[in-house]
Amino acid sequence: MSRDSNYDHHISIFSPQGRLYQMEYCFKAASSGLTGVAIRGKDSVCVVTQKKVPDRLMEPSSVTHLFKLTQKVGCCVTGSMADSKSMVQRARYEAGKWAFDNGYPMPVSVLARRMADLAQVNTQAAASRPLACIGLFVGVDDEKGPQVFKVDCAGHYLPFFAAASGPKEQEAMNFLEKRVTDMKDFDNDEVIRTAITCLGHVLGSDFRGTEIEVGTIIGKEGRFHVLSEEEIESHLNAIADDADA
Amino acid sequence: MGDSAYSFSLTTFSRTGKLLQIEYALNAVANGRTSLGICARDGVVIATDKKLTSELVDVAHVHKVELLTPSCGVCYSGVGPDFRVLVHQARKSSQAYLRQFGEVQPVTQLVKRTAGVMQEYTQRGGVRPFGVSLLIGGVEADGTPRLYQVDPSGAYFSWKATAIGKNYVNAKNFLEKRYTDDMELEDAIHTALLTLREGFEGEMNSENIEVGVVRNGKFSILTPEQIQDYLDEAN
Repeated sequence: MSRDSNYDHHISIFSPQGRLYQMEYCFKAASSGLTGVAIRGKDSVCVVTQKKVPDRLMEPSSVTHLFKLTQKVGCCVTGSMADSKSMVQRARYEAGKWAFDNGYPMPVSVLARRMADLAQVNTQAAASRPLACIGLFVGVDDEKGPQVFKVDCAGHYLPFFAAASGPKEQEAMNFLEKRVTDMKDFDNDEVIRTAITCLGHVLGSDFRGTEIEVGTIIGKEGRFHVLSEEEIESHLNAIADDADA
Repeated sequence: MGDSAYSFSLTTFSRTGKLLQIEYALNAVANGRTSLGICARDGVVIATDKKLTSELVDVAHVHKVELLTPSCGVCYSGVGPDFRVLVHQARKSSQAYLRQFGEVQPVTQLVKRTAGVMQEYTQRGGVRPFGVSLLIGGVEADGTPRLYQVDPSGAYFSWKATAIGKNYVNAKNFLEKRYTDDMELEDAIHTALLTLREGFEGEMNSENIEVGVVRNGKFSILTPEQIQDYLDEAN
């Protein structure tokens, strides 16, 4: 069966060049959909993504790509919505089990690594396909401070100063790379506003408060919370004022 | 695991008697970033290229060299996620050994176990081989330093010095010219850095490489400051 020339396109086995086609196709699926941006600052992290409600009759609060995984860890998952929700469910379970087994909250770096290891299994075992979603995990660690991790379908996970995912990932990363030295000292407001500006820059549009979602954690005692429309509006106004000034 | 739909091996013999999935896995390794190792008279050094594509990555917290036991470490070339699985398994098996025998697992036995796992994935149903080659440096029970390479097929070799990944042919030639049987660890570390620099794309510095050293039977990963000292000496 594995002698069929295109079987390496159907399941996770190596192609003659040593590539895994299923993984590459999965990336294409995972990078479609919405763009997300996450930034870490001096003492806080934030994650920002678009909010597109496809139908006016839909309940807007049910359409979200930001998920609280524990009190102190949040994530933005982009790609296939069904696969994203499956990954979030698993992440919540893993975090809960870890806290129960070990007696303290699961650090974001450990959770990211665990989710990445689970993603790797799907790239090696033929029985399941990889999940078509990319997660930006954010948290403020007790010992290491603000952290951002990107976990992708192949099981790669890396710590970032700032990261992006989705169709405009490359443009967003270019925007963020130029500001990487400054971002390390940003306070929470600056972190959020830079992330929003980055998203606006790569999507080529200005936003209203209803068109983006922002999640943030401030300080080592902070909890993951998603900003309300009013809070987002005040950030957008501040950005507009800075731009006019 | 053991899904009935995939209870057959995906790695099967071709008409000419080759196991093509393993060969393709070796190609995946050859596409990976360069790693190399040198076994000196009194220690082992393993080093790898840690160059990452974006400045946004917090590279100080990315680890491509990992400790397996207090006296043994590993680095790789190939598919990163697969490496993590093998590190995890090797650490668990060496802990089980410690619990059973009350002493640290010698490197040869650790290598055999890890190689066995990699071989299993070339024969078991429903899985593909690991897309990594490992360079494992450690000491035998009597303290002799050893350097091993483990391939996706599960075959393992003991080396005086070797390189894997991109550009491994040039790196191995470079090493062959400079290796001596009575080489000391400090010379080996310098040679390893010089070899890595030979094929490095762009400028090599203490942040975009990682170096592990087995010295006096203890494995440790060099800090960027320590690497910088060696690089300064080389200049």
